[in-house]
Amino acid sequence: MKLRDVPIQRKLMSVILYTSGAVLLLTCTAFFAYEVLTFRQNTTNQLSTLGKIIATNSTAALAFDAPDDANEVLAALKAEPHIVAAGLYDEKGKLFAQYPANIPVTDFPTNPQKDGSDVEHSYLIDFQPVMQENRHLGTLYLKSDMNAMYERLRLYSGIVILVIIVSLLLAYLLSRRLQKRISKPILALAEIAKAVSDRNDYSVRATKLGEDELGLLTDAFNRMLTQIQEQNLEIITLNQNLEHKILERTNELETANKELESFSYSVSHDLRAPLRAIDGYTKILEEDQLRNVDDEGKRMIGAILKNTKKMGDLIDDLLAFARLGKKEINGLDINMNSLVKTVVDDFLLVETEEKINISIQDLPPAQGDQALVKQVWINLISNAIKYSKKESKISIEIGSYPKENKIVYYVKDNGVGFDMRYYNKLFGVFQRLHSQEEFEGTGVGLAIINRIIQKHYGEVWAESVLNEGATFYFSLEPIQKEDL
Amino acid sequence: MVGDAGLWAQQPSSRESQVKAVFLFNFTQFIEWPAKTFPDAESPLIIGILGDDPFGNYLEQATTNEKINSHPLIIQHYKTVDEIKKCHILFVNISNKEQLDLVFKSLEGKSILTVGDSRNFIRQGGMIRFFTDNDKIKFQINVEVAKAAGLTISSKLLRLAEIVTSKNN
Repeated sequence: MKLRDVPIQRKLMSVILYTSGAVLLLTCTAFFAYEVLTFRQNTTNQLSTLGKIIATNSTAALAFDAPDDANEVLAALKAEPHIVAAGLYDEKGKLFAQYPANIPVTDFPTNPQKDGSDVEHSYLIDFQPVMQENRHLGTLYLKSDMNAMYERLRLYSGIVILVIIVSLLLAYLLSRRLQKRISKPILALAEIAKAVSDRNDYSVRATKLGEDELGLLTDAFNRMLTQIQEQNLEIITLNQNLEHKILERTNELETANKELESFSYSVSHDLRAPLRAIDGYTKILEEDQLRNVDDEGKRMIGAILKNTKKMGDLIDDLLAFARLGKKEINGLDINMNSLVKTVVDDFLLVETEEKINISIQDLPPAQGDQALVKQVWINLISNAIKYSKKESKISIEIGSYPKENKIVYYVKDNGVGFDMRYYNKLFGVFQRLHSQEEFEGTGVGLAIINRIIQKHYGEVWAESVLNEGATFYFSLEPIQKEDL
Repeated sequence: MVGDAGLWAQQPSSRESQVKAVFLFNFTQFIEWPAKTFPDAESPLIIGILGDDPFGNYLEQATTNEKINSHPLIIQHYKTVDEIKKCHILFVNISNKEQLDLVFKSLEGKSILTVGDSRNFIRQGGMIRFFTDNDKIKFQINVEVAKAAGLTISSKLLRLAEIVTSKNN
């Protein structure tokens, strides 16, 4: 895990431990180096001092050629275990006396070297002049092992390692306690923040533990929570008010709509009774009193009957349209091919078929209310035929294509079409783009289609160029795959 | 004096003379004379030889250009005790008992280190006597006599010597 991903407590402890560890290591290294250098200097000095004492004591032995005595003086070095060899050279540079007595002469340098000390193959070598007054009588050679130094090094290493271990342990224990002062408020903040985001509970508050930056952070955090809480409350209140208003308006609208529907239904229904009376009495008048009426009267009676029928049609359409508002649709699978074929065959029975050419592509099945969808086809095809009547040859194309999980069906004709500028009036009730004289109709057909398709959650639209034909489209849900 | 030549058991070898000459010189470094024997810092330290000089020129060799604490070394030869005026070390090359007695008597009260190698040298009142042991030149020292003469002998020198008194030798 990278340092930036570890928890803050461990991060703080790592920082403390790394820092104190580095400082300790540096301090101990410096102490170690100082001690080693000092000890080495001391060892050299001690050896030099020892050499001076031995040299002073050896003067007479050298002066009076008494090697026995010189050996005896050197033998005193036994007290210093680190001295491995000592030799006394006379003024001619010949080995005169040696210590220990039993080691071969070849172990000693053949000639005394320059005065002073030196390290040679991990041994400390010291040469001292043997002087009586100003006279140089010979040279003392001392060879000391560095075991004392190595022992000291080992001791210091042990101490240093112990100090580092104990100090790091102490640093660990201290940092474990002390880091809490920093991490505790941060962790508390993090916990509160998590609680807020998990439960959307803005009422919790972080506890302030001090007046430092973390305390300021805690204060700021709490202030923010207060603000959020207030704003949240405001939003909730506004939302509730809004929902309430929407519900109110919806209810009002529904009521108004229902009233309107029942009004139009009852109006349509109630209009039929007097109309039937007008129609009935006019027919009786036509049959019974025809001989008493002149041609002008006959024409008027005919006009009354024609308009009565037209009004009846209008009321029928209005009723049909009003009923659609109440009707529940039965969503079943529709075999569109056979449905369209039935509708087209019915039309061809009535119309003068030579003039009409209807081409039908293969139509996929769709979901919907068979009776209502049939009405859609009837209205669209009758419109196509009606508005193409003036053409010498009526050509109608019926087809489909898939679009965004739906099936689009269309009916295309070569009739008069309409002006796209008035498109927004096309699907309105009683909206007509052509005059009653030019083309018959109540102006309810497309409105019914629109309402039916809307009830099926589909869409209706159209395209046209004036005098070049029109295409009407509607979309329906395809049948479910598992139903196939 | 020529008649005394017969008393010499044998002529000392040249090496022996050389060692004795060096020892004689070295004594100057391990013995302190009373300050009055040196009137000033440049006063010479005199090594006298009474009787025949057995050292040839070895003593000259050992002492040439040497100084003991700024005191130059001088070698003087004396035929008789009366010639001795002032001297620090006197090598007494006389073995005749009566003559030796005379010599020591006349040196009494003077701070002169007497050195010799005749058998009865210490017994008669000499201070240092050379003798040969296992082909090595060694010496005896009569500390009491030296002390009486106001001489201080270094302990380092004493350690090398065989310490004797006038009686037991």
